[in-house]
Amino acid sequence: KNSIQTTLMPSYKLSYFNGRGVGEVSRLIFAAAGQKYEDVRYEVDQWPAYKAEMPLGQMPVLEVDGIKLPQSAAIARFLAKQFHLAGKDNFEQAKVDAVVDTIYDTYKAWAPSRFGEDPVKKEALSKKFFGEELPKQLQNLETLGKLYGNGGHFFVGNQLTWADLFFHTITETLLGINADCLNNFPWLKQNRAEVEKQPKIAEYLKNRSKTEL
Amino acid sequence: MPSYKLYYFNGRGRAEVARLIFAAAGEKYEDVRYERDQWPAHKAEMPLGQMPVLEVDGVKLPQSLSIARFLAKQFHLAGKDNFEQAQVDAVVDTIYDCLTKYVPIRFETDEAKKEELTKKFLAEELPKHLQNFETLGKLYGKGGHFFVGKQLTWADLLFFDVGAIILQVDSNAFNNHAWLKQNRAEVEKQPKIAEYLKNRPQTQF
Repeated sequence: KNSIQTTLMPSYKLSYFNGRGVGEVSRLIFAAAGQKYEDVRYEVDQWPAYKAEMPLGQMPVLEVDGIKLPQSAAIARFLAKQFHLAGKDNFEQAKVDAVVDTIYDTYKAWAPSRFGEDPVKKEALSKKFFGEELPKQLQNLETLGKLYGNGGHFFVGNQLTWADLFFHTITETLLGINADCLNNFPWLKQNRAEVEKQPKIAEYLKNRSKTEL
Repeated sequence: MPSYKLYYFNGRGRAEVARLIFAAAGEKYEDVRYERDQWPAHKAEMPLGQMPVLEVDGVKLPQSLSIARFLAKQFHLAGKDNFEQAQVDAVVDTIYDCLTKYVPIRFETDEAKKEELTKKFLAEELPKHLQNFETLGKLYGKGGHFFVGKQLTWADLLFFDVGAIILQVDSNAFNNHAWLKQNRAEVEKQPKIAEYLKNRPQTQF
């Protein structure tokens, strides 16, 4: 496959579980860009049959003109750059990346409270996360939004980027567990509202099936 | 001509990949290093109260990988088009996944527990990661020694740095991974990198 073919009209195929998780940000990017793609979703019991087809035995995987790309952040950043949702120059893209990394830090801090084995331990972890860790992370995100947002509602540069889309989907899950967790963060609440107001995103969210994760 | 200032502790840690990128590119920057007892006085100056931070013409940027990716793109060490850059990012994330698994073990204070966890990491966890690195190198490396596209990118620089940490834990770690050994050797051979490695401060971490 030569690079000219790739830049003219690539074909995109996203493989992931039937849920939002760390794959949804890429679906939101496709939606925001109005870009068609094959949205392959495996149920948990179907997945083992396909594991060996993926480079690292994990999902999400994006296939671009037949070449497979693993790693959710690498996939989302690539798509965001393809569709001009990554930041308008190199330094803005770095600010977007820094916000995304901070959102990932939040997600990784939350994950053990949901995906562990011991229910008693998970309950304790969840209390600690929502009580102590999450407010710190949300404060960090507001700090970055104010530092890079040029006074607007989006995280970077007064326009929608994949940082806003990623924040929306990760907090969707957290709000599902604790509906009040953003109450002390009006800027972040407003940021989510701005994402939901985007016409293509509003349409996508209206039609998307609701999943816990 | 932006001015660059990198803030970190006096060690390699999460800033070294950025320093390797500056070195490979032959680019100047202010290499600010705080000793542990100096850091509390500067913590509030950093956006997230953490380091590394890169200051570019007075604007601060946190998050070690975002810093490194930005510098790599500035100096053409990030991959030559959007898809190659994505392949580089995927390799970087995969290296980082391995480091993330090892870091808690490294900072375990109970020596007996640390030894047990390290043994388990080497036997069960590390082999999977090394196999993943080789898989991506073969998928994206176009038959060459570098991870992506037959040229040096920051993925190779990050692997060089993290590889050094792995070899400190087990000097035989790459014995069954000739491609990974060769990749690190190619990085060390780059004249500007060789020069940098010869002269960089020798630190504990």
